[in-house]
Amino acid sequence: MADVKLDISPMYEGERIRKDDLWVELGGPKADGFELSLATPMDQIVDGRVTVIGPDLKDIKEGSTIPFGMIFKVGGEKIEKDLESIIERRNHALLSYISGLMHLNQRYDIWMRIGKSLQKKGVTSWVQIFTPVVDLYKAEMPFIEKMEITIITDPARVKTELANAMAVYKTRDARAKGLHDEDVDVFYGCTLCQAFAPTSACVVTPDRPSLCGAITWFDGRAAAKVDPEGPQFPIPKGTAVDAVTGEYEAINDMAAKRSGGEYSVMKLYTFFDAPHTSCGCFETIGFFMPEVDGIGLADRDFKGATPNGLPFSTMAGQTGGGKQVVGFLGMGILYYFSPKFLQADGGWRRIVWMSKGLKERVKAGIDEDMMAKIATEDDAKDIAALKAFLLKVDHPVVNGVTRKVDNKKITEGWKLEDISDEIKEKVMAYIEKTGGDINIDTVKSELALTEGQFMQVVEALQADGVLE
Amino acid sequence: MATNQGSFSVEDMKNVQINIGAVVKEADEWDQEMGPFPKPGVATLRSWDHMIANRYKIMYTPADDTCTLCTYGPCDLTGNKRGACGIDQAGACGKIVLIACLMGCCAHAAHGRHLYHWCMDKFGDMKFDMGDEILVDSPLYQTIMGSKPKTFKDFNEGLYYLEEEVVQLLAATHTGQESAFIDFESKALHAGMLDLLGMEICDMLQIVAYDMPRGAADAPLIEIGMGTLDQNKGVLIAYGHNLAAGAEAMIYAENNNLWDKVDIGGVCCTAHDLNRIGLGNGELKVPKGIGTKPKVAGAMGWWRKMIRSGVMDCVMVDEQCVFCDVLADAEKRKIPVIATTDKIMLGLPDRTNDPIDAIVDDLVNFKMPGVAVLDPTKAGEIGIRVAIAVKPKRAEAKIQNLLTEEQFQEGIKKCTTCNECAFVCPPHIRISSLIGDAMKGNLLSFSNMYEVCVGCGKCEQSCPQGINILDLFEYANRQYIKTQKFKMRAGRGPARDTEIRAVGAPIVLGTIPGVIALVGCSNYPNGTKECYDIAKEFVDRGYIVVTSGCMAMDMSLYTDVDGKTIWEQYPGGFDGRNICNTGSCVSNANIGDAAIKVATIFAHRNHRGNFDDIADYILNKVGACGVAWGAYSQKAASIATGCNRLGIPVVVQPHSVMYRRTFIGRADKPEDWMVIDARDGKMQQIEPAPEAMLYIAETKEEAMVEMAKLCFRPSDNSIGRSIKLTHYCDISMKYCGKLPDDWHIFVRDTKDLPLVYKDQMMKELESKHGWTIDWKNKKFISGPLRPADVSFDPTNLARKIRTKK
Repeated sequence: MADVKLDISPMYEGERIRKDDLWVELGGPKADGFELSLATPMDQIVDGRVTVIGPDLKDIKEGSTIPFGMIFKVGGEKIEKDLESIIERRNHALLSYISGLMHLNQRYDIWMRIGKSLQKKGVTSWVQIFTPVVDLYKAEMPFIEKMEITIITDPARVKTELANAMAVYKTRDARAKGLHDEDVDVFYGCTLCQAFAPTSACVVTPDRPSLCGAITWFDGRAAAKVDPEGPQFPIPKGTAVDAVTGEYEAINDMAAKRSGGEYSVMKLYTFFDAPHTSCGCFETIGFFMPEVDGIGLADRDFKGATPNGLPFSTMAGQTGGGKQVVGFLGMGILYYFSPKFLQADGGWRRIVWMSKGLKERVKAGIDEDMMAKIATEDDAKDIAALKAFLLKVDHPVVNGVTRKVDNKKITEGWKLEDISDEIKEKVMAYIEKTGGDINIDTVKSELALTEGQFMQVVEALQADGVLE
Repeated sequence: MATNQGSFSVEDMKNVQINIGAVVKEADEWDQEMGPFPKPGVATLRSWDHMIANRYKIMYTPADDTCTLCTYGPCDLTGNKRGACGIDQAGACGKIVLIACLMGCCAHAAHGRHLYHWCMDKFGDMKFDMGDEILVDSPLYQTIMGSKPKTFKDFNEGLYYLEEEVVQLLAATHTGQESAFIDFESKALHAGMLDLLGMEICDMLQIVAYDMPRGAADAPLIEIGMGTLDQNKGVLIAYGHNLAAGAEAMIYAENNNLWDKVDIGGVCCTAHDLNRIGLGNGELKVPKGIGTKPKVAGAMGWWRKMIRSGVMDCVMVDEQCVFCDVLADAEKRKIPVIATTDKIMLGLPDRTNDPIDAIVDDLVNFKMPGVAVLDPTKAGEIGIRVAIAVKPKRAEAKIQNLLTEEQFQEGIKKCTTCNECAFVCPPHIRISSLIGDAMKGNLLSFSNMYEVCVGCGKCEQSCPQGINILDLFEYANRQYIKTQKFKMRAGRGPARDTEIRAVGAPIVLGTIPGVIALVGCSNYPNGTKECYDIAKEFVDRGYIVVTSGCMAMDMSLYTDVDGKTIWEQYPGGFDGRNICNTGSCVSNANIGDAAIKVATIFAHRNHRGNFDDIADYILNKVGACGVAWGAYSQKAASIATGCNRLGIPVVVQPHSVMYRRTFIGRADKPEDWMVIDARDGKMQQIEPAPEAMLYIAETKEEAMVEMAKLCFRPSDNSIGRSIKLTHYCDISMKYCGKLPDDWHIFVRDTKDLPLVYKDQMMKELESKHGWTIDWKNKKFISGPLRPADVSFDPTNLARKIRTKK
């Protein structure tokens, strides 16, 4: 096998290999494929070895599509099971760096193409392509001390190994899903953004991934292992000052230190008092609407105005730069799947409106009983329409939110501030019309009042002596 | 927080008041605190300018060793001599640089002033509305003026400010006034900044008035090339930079259903702007979608070749970048000319107040070669009517003016191969050898050189035999010109705030290594092909690539193996692996605007009246680099100088020595690279990043290596630095066959090293540069200039030192 020097650079990351340039297609829509990284004891790895099970590259018919699997065994003093998915996720970038190789998707969905340009270079074997991958990995993640690669092209073996891999993915997902802030004793801080926003400091926990969407707790852990003094660093959790709002002394200290004293308290699961800071690149924004005592959520792609009359960009323009802005909060998409999602404020029970695209995207994370109670732009384009919608669906904010986390009632529901003569007359007219036979549904639809508000008016009318 | 009160206002959001029931109003006042320098005067930002000029050493390349500006002259300034007035060589050069920047600045500002009056006349005062996705809607205006324009009328204040400053600056160039070169440079930087403001005013006015796209990543792909103009129709050419008359011609054609009888082709930036009209989503006062109807004939550099092709029937010129012999060239070919602004009247009679029918009659019957009509509506109607009516009458003249085969043969036979032409040719085309091949019946050499020729016509003037060489080019490429047809994306206008936000994470994570702006025209040897090559190299590497004006047109001439132009190969977003056409020359302001938005959106920097603070942020944090590859004009000088004041470096090609000045940092002088760490006020040595502000590269290869390097910033995190170094090294390897000599000075930590070269580089750092390395932990023990520190907050402004709350 000839010694071939491949062209490797990030510039090839976006390279597409078209049909005419195709040598061999691996996995994709037409064939099985998978990639799997496994944390393996050091003594079970032959460092740098690439083993091929099945036909080698030169023996595969040009232009064909084959089932394909690749297993990367990684070992090192600092390597643990939890890092597997992080290491595996780098496959896309690192393999794409190779000119003539296209890699799309991940896990069991991988779709790769080997281009004829590699053939022209004199490549004949998988070994020539994957040997430099070991070096790339070690350069990117210095905690990888040993790495061994197995390439599988034998269709039967791909099938059996794919089944094994599926089991691994399942276990990993269960672990990620089941891992909560209570289960770990370390959170991670991230100050990568300080290169642009000098006072920005993020906290990443299992239940609260970063607001840019790029860093999960596992990512933070991997990065901190590579470089404990780097931009992602461990925060020993300690005990909570307030477990419901997510206030931790260690986080407050970190925030004060890393922001240069800009702020001193930062809570994880709330919108209102000392919320998490927002940098400039959050994926979505939450905004409090006092008129309905609820929270709306919009994503970057939502172009219209939200019910409070403001589009994403206007609200986002007021937030960001690593500042705490009460009433607005930048959030990552993944946070919507967290059981601690705004738990101090009532979580999903406090959410009254979402842009449709966002609602669709995160629907698996939304509490089932709230699904139909959250309006989108199709239901409500302004506050009046939103109020009517919330009344109709009997949204918890109408009569007061009891938060799930501790069953504490945190809002009182809608109240009339000022019981005007106009509203009194309307209620009187209604009572006269119905002859005192009060139906709460018609109170809502005809008067746009909650039961509580209706009773407020009735009490006022009694005080006036109009009603008995 | 009280949640059940009738009215409520959120901290830090004082300008928006939300009341129960609906949003009742947006308060008139802008809640951002006023910065220290609204409407800066000539000397206000002088200390910032001196910081730039002291770090980036000025090198002058005078075109002339004497000064001849006053009657004392000519004064010999060589060998440290001073002129009669006392000025030295550097001062005299600085003065010329300032004058050039003022010319450029005034060209755009005057354009803006004209548009202001015209738009107020035609449309009345309009709400300045950039749509929901562009909240920071006039970043330069707000940064410089400290106010937010709300309607057209408000822009008047900006224009007044600009005009006053220009008068002050020009006054300083009078003999016996300013003499220190560094203060001339400070004034030139001021003129450059004013130019950015003038361009922004221009573009914002026309975007709103003519409902142009407001940051449309999916602006339509439009046709470009002489082949797009239908020879069966009258062809009206709108040539220059000011859309007013061309737009009126379009509206006239639309309202009178004349599109089947006339084609409108734009040349130079007017083309861009005509093709943006009515494609927005704002208030519509022009016919919807009309911008897709005119064609883009081509860039300014193609002019002399285009006019020789016989395709045009009538030419309207407006302003800027119009060849001075346009009338002579047109008259010879019986193409009537209409001058439509008072900037360029070509000696023609002013017929603004004459009846349209009479003017049309005079032009169609060739009673006069052209007219000046300073009313755009009138000029537009005349242009359309003349183009249609004159077409059949021109048929004979057209044939007469096109070289026949016989004439071509006659022409080439006259060549004595004296090569006088090659000596004066800017791209040094060996015309005699093209002629030699043509003598043998091979016209391919002429075709191959067609794009290389910049159409300056110097060859014809120097030819002792009087050969009309440009006509030979036209003859040899006749078929090509007539069928020349490409695709270009219409000008999209500014970057949307949401786009800036979306690129935030990739920029922080290094997957987007920087912003590359290709600006100006590509009027020099191979400039058209090379601007395509440069754009393609960087867009492939995941940079955000933005372009405008003639560059955007020129790079449309080339296609990949699938026959796709760069516009068809990549999407048009403000994003990595995208390429955006911001629009015409004045749309260049949008590039500075995007840099400002990074500061306001990522860091929430107050930009109001705070120019040096924003420029300081950009200089230290935003990896952006401009390139002008073949720009000829004084406008390019002022644009580049404006970018420099804003902290954005620019690379230019060799002919730019004619601009007479560069700003080059000295990596060998550590004392030049000290900055303040805003966290504690301590001084910190940094690597030379960015190393230059205005750099002349000799080749496109050198330019690309340099551009990659000029995207380094001192605040790069390790991920960002590693990826930037990767591209710097990769481009150098690809085009120069070796790693750059100075890669090591940008390395602060092993994490900064490019993945692919990591092992090799660590060994080299130890063996060649004497660094000590802890090999087990893969860490440097000694060697780097400074440690990598993601929280490092470099600044050049003492007032940015943080004080704890």
